[in-house]
Amino acid sequence: MIQTVHLTKQYGKLEALHDLNLHIEKGKVFGFIGPNGAGKSTTMLILATLLAPTDGKAYVAGYDVVKEPKQVRQALGYMPDFFGVYDNLKTAEYLDFYAAAYNIPPAKRKSIIVDLLELVNLSDKADAYVDSLSRGMKQRLGLARCLVHSPDVLILDEPASGLDPRARIEMREILKQLRGMGKTILISSHILPELAELCDEIGVIEKGRLIACGAVEEVSAGTRGISVMQVKVLQSHDAARTVLQASPYVRRLDDKGSHFRFQFTGTEVDKAVLLQQLIGAGIPVVHFGESKENLEDVFLAITEGVGS
Amino acid sequence: MKAFLANPLIVKEMRERFRKKITYWILGLYLFVMGAILLGFMYVNQLNSIMIPGENRELFILIAVIQYAMICFIAPALSAGTISGERERQTLHVLLTTQLSPGRIIWSKLLTSLAYIFLMVISSLPLYSFVFLYGGISPQQLFTLVLFFAVNIVFFGALGLFCSTWIKRTGVSTITAYGLAFFFVVGTGLVCLFTADLLQELYPQQYPPGDVYQEPALQMLAALNPVNVMFQLLGEELVPAGESFLPPWLIFTLCYLGFTGILVGWSTYLLHPVRRLPWHWTK
Repeated sequence: MIQTVHLTKQYGKLEALHDLNLHIEKGKVFGFIGPNGAGKSTTMLILATLLAPTDGKAYVAGYDVVKEPKQVRQALGYMPDFFGVYDNLKTAEYLDFYAAAYNIPPAKRKSIIVDLLELVNLSDKADAYVDSLSRGMKQRLGLARCLVHSPDVLILDEPASGLDPRARIEMREILKQLRGMGKTILISSHILPELAELCDEIGVIEKGRLIACGAVEEVSAGTRGISVMQVKVLQSHDAARTVLQASPYVRRLDDKGSHFRFQFTGTEVDKAVLLQQLIGAGIPVVHFGESKENLEDVFLAITEGVGS
Repeated sequence: MKAFLANPLIVKEMRERFRKKITYWILGLYLFVMGAILLGFMYVNQLNSIMIPGENRELFILIAVIQYAMICFIAPALSAGTISGERERQTLHVLLTTQLSPGRIIWSKLLTSLAYIFLMVISSLPLYSFVFLYGGISPQQLFTLVLFFAVNIVFFGALGLFCSTWIKRTGVSTITAYGLAFFFVVGTGLVCLFTADLLQELYPQQYPPGDVYQEPALQMLAALNPVNVMFQLLGEELVPAGESFLPPWLIFTLCYLGFTGILVGWSTYLLHPVRRLPWHWTK
């Protein structure tokens, strides 16, 4: 559904994107991870037909983004990292404008708008002026705007940026619904944990280069044999830290107060040995396992040394 | 009309503009200033003399000049923020990913920004009835004047729109639009006068005083100056009119509508997110 072939973008001497090859199948949710300036937004702008690549090809729903921009725009919904709204319009009017901009007949627009407002939990705000909405509501309205023409592909650049935790959870729930509808979603975020349970695959990009790509577990374990572990103890917190620090397989130990999080470079046997050591030291362990939601550590592990 | 109202951008822009209180305040203020100046001069004129019916041209010229100055002041400002405003509000990228083509966006923006200033001009037409009250002006003169204003409004609107597409910041775009408008309103006239003086000084035998303006190039230059053309329409002469193949107002209209076309086409090209030569825009 989304494909890039040797995609390269240069701004003068600066290479924002280098030989990017991506293939995202229909119905998949692909998470794009990378620090600011890594090339995520550049890739998304090219896919959204807003930027010409210096070299290479990009396709959305089988259409070439440079040669067939009109067809690409009909097939995708794009939400930029920062976007404004028209302040003097009401929520329903705002969506009506975009529906009309996608040539949707007036007779169909009303029901589409009602459905979309329900999807993003803004039904009660249909007659409210857009500028009276909170940041989270505006972000959800922006997502509804992407969906007015029922695109197969969604390109969402930092959809949860600047949102409070509650708004972030609401956004995540809506994205899960969209995944359930079979939409192909390319989503970027620098708040990594929010992508973990949402994505089928992730791609890690750094300095314009894709340095890892695949399923979350594949990327974390497959590339360097690293897993991210989480340990929770009832008491003897300091003793637990000493045991963990002493292990040759523990890296980047993060003491969260209530629990520890760290990268583990050993095998399954080494994990069992570490658990035995903790119990042997008389430490009451209540949780010992892999941390599934923390992509941040995966990202840090993969990008370690890149560009140096 | 149906197609006009079905254009989503025009509907949106109209909604936005006419929901702002300032829109009505500006219109009210404009009419107040125009009316106050007209009535003020009428009052002053009759203090020590009697207004003679049929000899009321000065008042007509006065209103026309003030209205033209207002158009020069307002038209570029109204359109100079149309595209850069979308850019500053961070709505342009989203707009460009819809099925609205850059050409349609440009035309819609031009139409909606001009609609407001046309409303201003049309709503001020009743002020001219004061002039008609005393006679001396034919309806045809008023009609040609309104047409002249229309050409100017469209041109200045296109100029502002071009600056707005070309320059990212609305403030800089507005100043640039004013600068370019000043060149067309004043600069072309100065170039014409300077060239005429230069020719007279360099070749006094060939160009005796007054005759220099018979030169076709100077006729053309004079026809490009809107102030000169307006005064000719009002029956006054700033630059001596020579014999040319077309009347100056027609040369002016054709040239300025041509400039408008170029500016709109150029703006459309600049607005394309991925700029390609027109013959490559096949899909």
